[in-house]
Amino acid sequence: MTAIPPVLTLVLAGGKSDALRALGRIRTASALPYGGKYRVIDFTLSNCVHSGLTRIGILTQYAPLSLHGHIGIGRAWDLDRRDGGIRLLQPYVRQRETNWYRGTADALLQNRNVIEDAQARHILVLSGDLVYKMDYAELIRVHEEHDAALTLVTVQAPNEEPERYGFVQADRSGRVTALEEKPKRAGGSVVSAAVYAFRARDLMERLRRPEGGPDLVRDVIQPMIREGAQVMAYPHRGYWRDIGTVDSYYESNMDLVHPLPPLNLYDPDWLIYTPSEDRAPAVVGGEAALSQSLVSHGARVEGEVRRSVLFPGVHVGADSVVEDSIVMHDARIAPGARLYRAIVDKRVAVGQDAVVGRPGPELGPPAPGANRDSDWAGLGLCVVGKGSVIPAGSRIGPNTLIEIGVTERDFPAREIAPGSVIRPGGAARAAVARAAPDRAR
Amino acid sequence: MSFVSYAMILAGGLGSRLCILSEKRAKPAVPFGGKYRIIDFSLSNCVNSGIFDVGILTQYRPLSLRDHIGIGRAWDLDRKRGGVELLQPFQGWAETDWYRGTADAIHQNWTRVEEREAEHILVLSGDHVYHMDYRPMIEAHLARGADATVAVTEVPREEARGFGVVELDQDGIVRGFLEKPAAPPSGIISMGVYVFRTSALHAVLREDAELDTAHDFGRNILPALVRGGRVQGFRHEGYWQDIGTLDSYYRANLDLLRPDPPFPLEDLRWPVFTPSTEFPPARIGSRAEVRSSIVTHGSIVNGIVERSVLFPGAVIEEGAVVRGSIVMGETWVGPQAVLDRVILDKRVHVGPRARVGHGTDMTPNRSCPEHLSSGITIVGKETRIPEGATIGRNCRISANLIEEDFPGEAIPSGGVMERELNVAH
Repeated sequence: MTAIPPVLTLVLAGGKSDALRALGRIRTASALPYGGKYRVIDFTLSNCVHSGLTRIGILTQYAPLSLHGHIGIGRAWDLDRRDGGIRLLQPYVRQRETNWYRGTADALLQNRNVIEDAQARHILVLSGDLVYKMDYAELIRVHEEHDAALTLVTVQAPNEEPERYGFVQADRSGRVTALEEKPKRAGGSVVSAAVYAFRARDLMERLRRPEGGPDLVRDVIQPMIREGAQVMAYPHRGYWRDIGTVDSYYESNMDLVHPLPPLNLYDPDWLIYTPSEDRAPAVVGGEAALSQSLVSHGARVEGEVRRSVLFPGVHVGADSVVEDSIVMHDARIAPGARLYRAIVDKRVAVGQDAVVGRPGPELGPPAPGANRDSDWAGLGLCVVGKGSVIPAGSRIGPNTLIEIGVTERDFPAREIAPGSVIRPGGAARAAVARAAPDRAR
Repeated sequence: MSFVSYAMILAGGLGSRLCILSEKRAKPAVPFGGKYRIIDFSLSNCVNSGIFDVGILTQYRPLSLRDHIGIGRAWDLDRKRGGVELLQPFQGWAETDWYRGTADAIHQNWTRVEEREAEHILVLSGDHVYHMDYRPMIEAHLARGADATVAVTEVPREEARGFGVVELDQDGIVRGFLEKPAAPPSGIISMGVYVFRTSALHAVLREDAELDTAHDFGRNILPALVRGGRVQGFRHEGYWQDIGTLDSYYRANLDLLRPDPPFPLEDLRWPVFTPSTEFPPARIGSRAEVRSSIVTHGSIVNGIVERSVLFPGAVIEEGAVVRGSIVMGETWVGPQAVLDRVILDKRVHVGPRARVGHGTDMTPNRSCPEHLSSGITIVGKETRIPEGATIGRNCRISANLIEEDFPGEAIPSGGVMERELNVAH
């Protein structure tokens, strides 16, 4: 009999990610559609249930409706339970001191009653916007074995954008000696995976300190390390990606269509769960050419699709081309249209014979983990916001951002220069984007 | 109360003409169209028509159907009031027994109808593929005050031999009902979709229960009601397919692949619900070619697939060719294997370079030539076809065979493989 379940899991899923541009404005990064049928948070939630962790709070704040609708009562993860299950923890009004969550630590502090009521021995703090598979039960076991106040998971440092990561220094025994957030230059070989197992009383004691601040890393974890608390590193060896930027989101999706995908979605012992939609099977037409792609239910493919991810209900018309692209739910690619390196949000309509992006046969999808330029422009991607319409016959240059809800009238010309931004109700502005090294040439 | 809120679906049939597809499951539980079971169409028609109280009469091998339906969640039928209930034969203090026929099945469960105090009920079959809004039919039934309303559709006259042929007068009243006539007077047939006035149905059921009949709706109940002169026909426009034979099963699946499909598989106003599997999206490899086919979540295609239906988790390896075939869930087709006009049941394993549905010899099947003569070869659940094996057309390969069960030489067209016999003959 385990009278008190020892672990409460809290998933941070409230952040606003400006770097996701039009993709991230209408939804928090955790709710981003991913991999043909998933939302990013499905990985974290599926990891939880596969690890036997079924008491989960999800802290939401920014644009949560998409996420709330997705999670519902947690049925898809078998988390609609009498004991435990999923709770959505949105900021609420109090008699005194009502505040939005001012940061990750503040969000936890504002939910201290949830943490205390759980009477958990450990608090697992996770981020909903990461793509990885991990057995948290093993993490908790090692965390207990070390009798650690905090065990933080580390992964190999990605080659690019050190300013997006926290570099971890540990001694030979695995004890963490430093955690340097978002340095200008890479500060070592391993970074924090933003997966933290706290001993509950240590976390609460830190959160309650009057001098404490709102940020979990700066105001809780770094002081713990400095003051000599038992903080251990736990290396995670598998796939792990932060999808907080347009490029990283794109690359992680493209990893899935790689001939040898670094992340296996087909492992029957570790399936990623998500609420299924009642869509018909995908139908592939007689003239279609489909290769190296993921195709979801409700899709209809009449044209050519290569190295792309098609979400439910996408229609790809005859004589059209979709290459190196991500096309979300119910988007319509009209006959003769061509998409190259585009991320097309839900319910976008691409008109007949329109060309979005630039083909780059010699470009190919970047190999996973390969180095590249650290700006969105580096991959030459076009992003088309939710529900936008791209006029028939138009030509949209690479690196163009088409905002949410753009109509045909918002296009100043049939030809849109590379790096442009098209907004609803306004004329296109020439891109202020940095001169991108255009690798297509 | 004069609206119809209760439906009973007849789902107990043996379906012997579906050969080994219904060897281990009732016909309504046979997989169809990539992700469905046949009964999904009737059940989805019910909920899309606003009927959320459904009894399913089962008898023959109900386990697969029971697993599929569960508590009815996929159809939103896990409800406090109404919902879905499987009605399997049971023992009681009064005379009860196995269902002697479709009419007897409903008669034995009559308390279910009485409890609802329904003036009219809907009776359906679980083995038809169609989209139908039952509400206009119910309205017509109520408007006319009929004892029964029978949905009818038209098929070519020669095909009507397999159905109940309905004779309508100019007012739409049914004047005659001939079950499977040798010489059909017309192609107007009953779809096995009925609205009954409960009292009229009960009277006929009670009478029939005492007689030595087949206790069958088509043979006995309908003709008895027709004699009363208060049965009308209701014409259904649109696709309807009875999945009675392997040929009709095969055709109905492949109908979905036509450039102008007879009904849209994806109609967001009329969704067909089914319990979803947890598989990832279909993965199409870099050397794959897929044309005129249906692919589902969890299928992985690295070979060539044409005019075929792939169910969840079907894996087609590199160099394999699948043409005009139905490949059910979690089946593996090895490298360089070739399938032509083949139905593979779930979890079949086709060894590398095996050829199934091979050659031009169209010899009908030896043991059931009447059901297996159009060139379709069928392989039962979980059978493992050895590497390099050759199997002709019109063959019937039973379930659960392993490589060692197969003879060294090719299995010619019309062949039968069964475990007991252990040899092709």
